[in-house]
Parts: sequence; C-alpha cells; structure tokens
Amino acid sequence: MSEAWIRVEDARRGAAADWLVRLQSADLTETEALRFDSWLAVHPANAVAYDQVLSVTLELEAAAPGIARALKATPLRRSTPTRRGWFVAGGLAAAATLAVAVMPFSALRPAATQTYVTAKGEHRTVRLADGSVLDLNAGSALSVTLARDARQVTLMQGEAVFDVAPDKARPFLIAAGDRTVRVVGTRFDVRRRDGQLSVTVERGLVEVRPTEAAAAAGAAIGSRAFRLHPGQRLDHAEGAPDVRVSAADPAQVFAWRTGRLIYRDQPLGDVIADLNQQFPRPIVLEDPALASTRVSGVLVLDDQAAVIRRLALLAPIKALPSARGVLLRSDTAAKP
Amino acid sequence: MIVAQDATDPLLAAYLERRQSLLRFLAARCGSLAVAEDLTQELFLKLAGRDPGGEIGNPTAMLYRMALNLMLDRARGDSRAAARDTAWRQIARSEIGGQDVADDPPADEAAASAQRLRQLIAAVQDLPPQAGRAFRLHKLEGLSHAETARVMGLSVKAVEKHVSAALKALTARLSP
Repeated sequence: MSEAWIRVEDARRGAAADWLVRLQSADLTETEALRFDSWLAVHPANAVAYDQVLSVTLELEAAAPGIARALKATPLRRSTPTRRGWFVAGGLAAAATLAVAVMPFSALRPAATQTYVTAKGEHRTVRLADGSVLDLNAGSALSVTLARDARQVTLMQGEAVFDVAPDKARPFLIAAGDRTVRVVGTRFDVRRRDGQLSVTVERGLVEVRPTEAAAAAGAAIGSRAFRLHPGQRLDHAEGAPDVRVSAADPAQVFAWRTGRLIYRDQPLGDVIADLNQQFPRPIVLEDPALASTRVSGVLVLDDQAAVIRRLALLAPIKALPSARGVLLRSDTAAKP
Repeated sequence: MIVAQDATDPLLAAYLERRQSLLRFLAARCGSLAVAEDLTQELFLKLAGRDPGGEIGNPTAMLYRMALNLMLDRARGDSRAAARDTAWRQIARSEIGGQDVADDPPADEAAASAQRLRQLIAAVQDLPPQAGRAFRLHKLEGLSHAETARVMGLSVKAVEKHVSAALKALTARLSP
C-alpha cells in the first residue's frame, strides 16, 4: 500500500468519524442528514470507512462500563461518589436520579402500604417517595411499602419496569410468587402472568432467590439465588424448582413502555397474549396451531384495528370480527 | 415478502434504494444496530401504511425527516439516559448489511472478550489527553456534547473535534 493511499484512507476515516459525531449530536439538522446521505453515496469506500468507525464506536459504547471501571484509578471528576460503579454506563441516568437520591427520607413516617392497579390498555408511571420510578404495564397490580430498613414491593399480577434509586441501607425487595427479587439500584423488568415469572435486567445487578417459604418447602436445587447482569433474563414457572437464565435484548422487553412491542422470531401465541393485555376486545386464534408461527417485527400500539392490520403484514393471518372479539384466521393466500 | 408492493411510489422506491444508508444513520443516532434495524423496519411500515397519494417534493429529504421524527417519538417516551444506556448493546449485536449475528455468545468466548476488553482499555488510555478526556466524559460517563463542553471549558464544536479525533484513532487501532 502506497503512502499516498494510506493518507487517503486516513482522511476518509477522519471524515467518517466527523460524520458519526455529527449524527450523534443533539442539534443535528435535516440538511446535515441529507449531506451525510450524499457523502455515503459518493464513494463506496466512504461507507466502508463509516462502518468501521460505527462498529468500533458501538463496541466501545457497549463495553463502556467495563472500560470506565478499569480507568477508575485515574478519575476525571471528583464529584462522582460511590455510585459510579453502578452508573458509569449512563452518566445522564445518574444525573437524572441524583436529585432524588439525596432526598431525605422521613424515618418517622410509619410505613404505609400503597396499592397500584392498571386496567387493560392502561400504562401508569408511579414515582415513589425514595425516588424510584415504577412503570406499570397494562393489567398489573402491585403494592409498595417503604419501611425504614427495606423497600418492599409485592407484584400480585402483571409487569412493571423498576428504576430503583440507589440506597444501600434499604434494599429494594420485590416479591413475585415464590421468588424474591433483590436490588440495590438499577433498572429492570419483572413480569408475572399466569404463574410464569420473568425478570430482565437493563442496568445494574439483580438477585433472584426463592422466598423463605419456597426455600423451606422446595428441594435444595430450588433454593439457589441467581445474580442477573445487564442483558440477562430469568424465567421461572412458579412451583417448579428450577429457573432458566438466558440472554435477552432489554429493548424488546421494555418496548411496551414506549407504546411499541418488538418481536424477534417469537411465537404468534405470545404476541396475541401481549396484545390481549393491551386491548379490551379479546383476540382469538381460530386454529391453535397458528400460535407457533414465528413472528418478527415492530408493532406500534395505537388502536387495535391498526395493530392487527400491521400484524397481518408480519404473519399470514387475516382478521374477522366475531361475537367474542377478533378472530384471526390463517390466510394462506398471503403466504410470502 | 411485502416489499415493492407499489414500485411506482417514489417514497417507497427511495426507501428501498437507501435502506442501508438509513440504517447507518439510525445506528449512529440510537447507538444500537438492533434498535436501528427495528426503527428502519418501523419506517417501512409507516411508508407502506400511508396513503400513497400526495405530492412529495424530495423523497430523500422526506425519508430522513421521518427517520428523525421516529427517533424523537422514541426519545419522548423513553428517557435519554435509557437510550444511551449501553450495557446491553453488545448482546443484541448484529451486522450491518448482513444477517443478525448470534444473540448469545457461547461461554468459551468469555476469555476472548476479556482480552478484547483489555485492548479497548489500553486504546482509550493511549488517547492524547484532550481527545481522551472528551471521549471519557462523553462516551464513558454519558455526558452530552454540551455537558462535556461545560466540564472541559471548551466550545461544543471543539468537543466534537476531540471526540471525532478519538474515534478516528480508536478505529485505526481497534479495527480488524
């Protein structure tokens, strides 16, 4: 490779890095977006250089917590207290919760239990006195007790995202069926429907262990506690001794909060179950065998008819109104 | 496939031609290829679902405007912090222009990734001081360009230059 060629490559990489930084800036304009499009199109090598910078950037962003921890020996700012280890991945997240984290908690107030319930199709955000924020998905019920020595939530039914304000002195405990979820400060999703529990972690560390009653009743294998890291998901059938830990994309699990459901190769039956939590008119599959059809795609949750129309783009189905709700029938004519 | 159901629709034609560019655009904006894929598909569903009538002056401009709006819609319901939260991104990693890469890496890759992490750390440590500081504040501590500028006592433009220089140096060193 000649020296001149290396210089050209180097300049291209510089331009690619400039573009990436511009695209990530908050004040990006439409004109700049169009100039970026032209720059990509003008020479195939531009796209190659851009992909390299993008790929390295995404890798570094993904590894940011680990890198930051390693570099902690030489801190940049003195004003970051012990919370750093937990929140390096999102300095903004830390900034956002900092104000509430220092809010004094009145130890004199008796620990009252508050219950929150959401109806079908209703989403609700609850801000607790300790600064934690709970987002309740549709068809959920939970109760909260903020005591002096612990913050306790009982998830009776449904699903919620927990954004927990850090407080090492008062652990955040969530009882869901025969498992207890214990956290210090983090963001994760707990779902309990029809005896199936799942916990997905977006940030921080979460521990899931059997309740004392379940541990006493269950076999030794069932009494194990699991620590979940970001991107991990735990599934457990209540009453069963075992749990399953797998990798999950929190963006998919958390999407209901933004009014969208994201599926990657998931059975249609699960999609219908989720939709039935969102809308009062039940959706029924005519042929139960349809439930195993794999579905990938994004469903924006606005009105039920529109959602079903979009679903029909992702799976070979058509919708028929029926006395009980909406009937989905296999539409072989629409097979891709 | 539902693609090209109406090839005469200029917006749909522009989309099909520019899908990769839009994907690259969105990947930088949202910091995740997986999310960018979803948004690119969402954009398509929006296009396919709209009324094809009506005059469109510049289809490409329209596409990018829609893509930017999609990001805004997303940011509205979601905190910026969550959008920037990167801890899980590696898990959902996919390749641009190709198929999705396996979602869960086998356990024996742990050693390889630990070695890679050491490479990443060394590369960040070796950055020139100002570029390194801007990179660490922006990428590792999650400050915005403006916040980084405030902490460093520089203009936003200068911060962007430093971050860009850091990314260029890191790419030169870390690209396969």
